[in-house]
Amino acid sequence: MIVLETSNLTKKFGGLTAVNDVSMTLNQGDVMGLIGPNGAGKTTFINAISGLNPPTSGSVKMFGDDTTRLTPEKMCRLGLSRTFQIPSPFPKMTAIETVMTATIFGNESGKVKDPVDHSREMLDFVEFPMAETVVAEQLNTVQLKRLDLARALASNPRLLFMDELASGLSEGELNDIMRIINKISKKGISILMIEHIMQLIMAVCNRLLCIQFGTKIAEGLTQEVANDPKVTKAYLG
Amino acid sequence: MDNTITSQQMNPFDKLLDKLCLTPVGLLGLVLLFALPYIPPFNQEYMLRWLIYCGFIAAMSVGFDLTAGYISIVNFGYAAVSGFGGYTSALLVINMGLSPWLAMAAGGITAGFMGLIIGMISLRLRGIFAACLSWFFGLAIMGLATKMVWLTRGPLGLRTPRLFETDSNAPFYFLMVILLFLIYLACKLIVRSKMGLAFQAIGQNMDAARASGINPVYYRVFNFTVSCAIAGILGGFYAHFYGILTPDVMHTSKTVEVLAVAYIGGRGSLWGGAVIAFPFIFIMEIVRSTLSNLPGLNLVIYSLVLILVMIYYPGGFSYFYDTHIRKPKNKVLRYFLNGRK
Ligand SMILES: Nc1ncnc2c1ncn2[C@@H]1O[C@H](COP(=O)(O)OP(=O)(O)OP(=O)(O)O)[C@@H](O)[C@H]1O
Ligand SMILES: [Mg+2]
Repeated sequence: MIVLETSNLTKKFGGLTAVNDVSMTLNQGDVMGLIGPNGAGKTTFINAISGLNPPTSGSVKMFGDDTTRLTPEKMCRLGLSRTFQIPSPFPKMTAIETVMTATIFGNESGKVKDPVDHSREMLDFVEFPMAETVVAEQLNTVQLKRLDLARALASNPRLLFMDELASGLSEGELNDIMRIINKISKKGISILMIEHIMQLIMAVCNRLLCIQFGTKIAEGLTQEVANDPKVTKAYLG
Repeated sequence: MDNTITSQQMNPFDKLLDKLCLTPVGLLGLVLLFALPYIPPFNQEYMLRWLIYCGFIAAMSVGFDLTAGYISIVNFGYAAVSGFGGYTSALLVINMGLSPWLAMAAGGITAGFMGLIIGMISLRLRGIFAACLSWFFGLAIMGLATKMVWLTRGPLGLRTPRLFETDSNAPFYFLMVILLFLIYLACKLIVRSKMGLAFQAIGQNMDAARASGINPVYYRVFNFTVSCAIAGILGGFYAHFYGILTPDVMHTSKTVEVLAVAYIGGRGSLWGGAVIAFPFIFIMEIVRSTLSNLPGLNLVIYSLVLILVMIYYPGGFSYFYDTHIRKPKNKVLRYFLNGRK
């Protein structure tokens, strides 16, 4: 089953074409890696899909319906969640309150019986290392990324975008993240993850999408794309 | 979010306090406010007038904080919206013979409507731009009040009937304290509900809030409407207390006065400004009356204090209180400052 499909998606910022004519498909159960050099347009691509920065042209189909230019809040309700490259959740809120927002507003009302309980579960699920009462502005980047992930999961998504979740992690933390991503995937959530760390990509992704200068240069099984000369060339410059 | 202990475990008194969004020390403060007119030297009429003004600014700061402290937009037109409510109320009484009490409510409704409009047209704007827009809006309303001389008598001022037919200031003072408490309670109940969480989320990170499923349109417009309705009711009180209304009440410097008190009191606390207003505005009134040959000095002091607070203690009084005073070791004292929570 196709979960997400973009057709000729393009995003222009004035004269700059950040995403150029990208078509791709993501299937149910995929853990797809979105790779490409810095400034390739990866974040812009997921922003265009998730509604934060709507596309200039092209279309998006999610779960079989046309969702082009829907607002982020609408996309969230439809089952799409995302984390942010620069995790900056709500600085003055405690960890539990941060997750509560997505629990309460990201789910149809009444669907979650006990929001506090549900939010706690999410924090446990991402193995959040701090107390739930800690205020977000006191967390470091790594902890914030975990919190942001818990927030994203709290709305019970069917599709999850993660933007450089693993950047800046130590070797041990990388293993934790790997395990958590596998857990998410096991829950039946399809994943599109922007990532630079090859070790992680090779370990968890079944498919890859590579873009360079906003244009798709490869899409397919992880091994194939990773060995594609165009892709290695894009990375080596 | 903050009531972790279920209400069954509480005795009726604590339950009531919790319903009223008060702590024991808060209740004591409220009782003290009611007792103040009987305690010398505050029992003198001119001091009561000052205290009424303190209460007015306190209540304004609560309504202002609902927007500034929760959705992080500074409504620079706040005094203008309040004045708009005041003029509406005054004109309804003068021209239609409405009772000042009903007119005050009508002032609140029209000001709320004004807030709805400001909320709608500033929707696409973030932070400082929304603040500017509300400011221009305020200037425009004030311009209208000044220029529509046939209706408002312009700078000459509008004579307005008072709420109580008496020379005593006491009834006005008690009404002001009641209004202050009701406004605090209304705002506090709103921010305690899940709506408060949505306010904070869109105020602190719009993108993350939207990605979490929050529709910012609804919450922002609602916030502006409530906050401006509060200003309108207070504007009506102002009109029917002082008995004269000039476009000056809409001036940006009035908003700055409210803003200063709200920020010094502590943004996002609701109670901080309400508490700080009494000593602070009172002292400012003393300064103003003793140094009346130096007009504008109070504004200089506001700015200085505000700058000092912003630089050295951006959390304001409520932050200071929460970090240094609220959590003492002593159990009784702890209960006194926090209630049964
Ligand atoms: N809001 C914006 N306005 C103008 N240009 C933008 C905007 N957002 C991104 N860009 C530009 O679009 C291009 C793609 O940026 P994007 O952030 O999508 O890259 P990326 O692949 O996510 O890179 P990185 O790996 O560094 O995160 C860059 O040249 C960037 O400067
Ligand atoms: Mg990026």
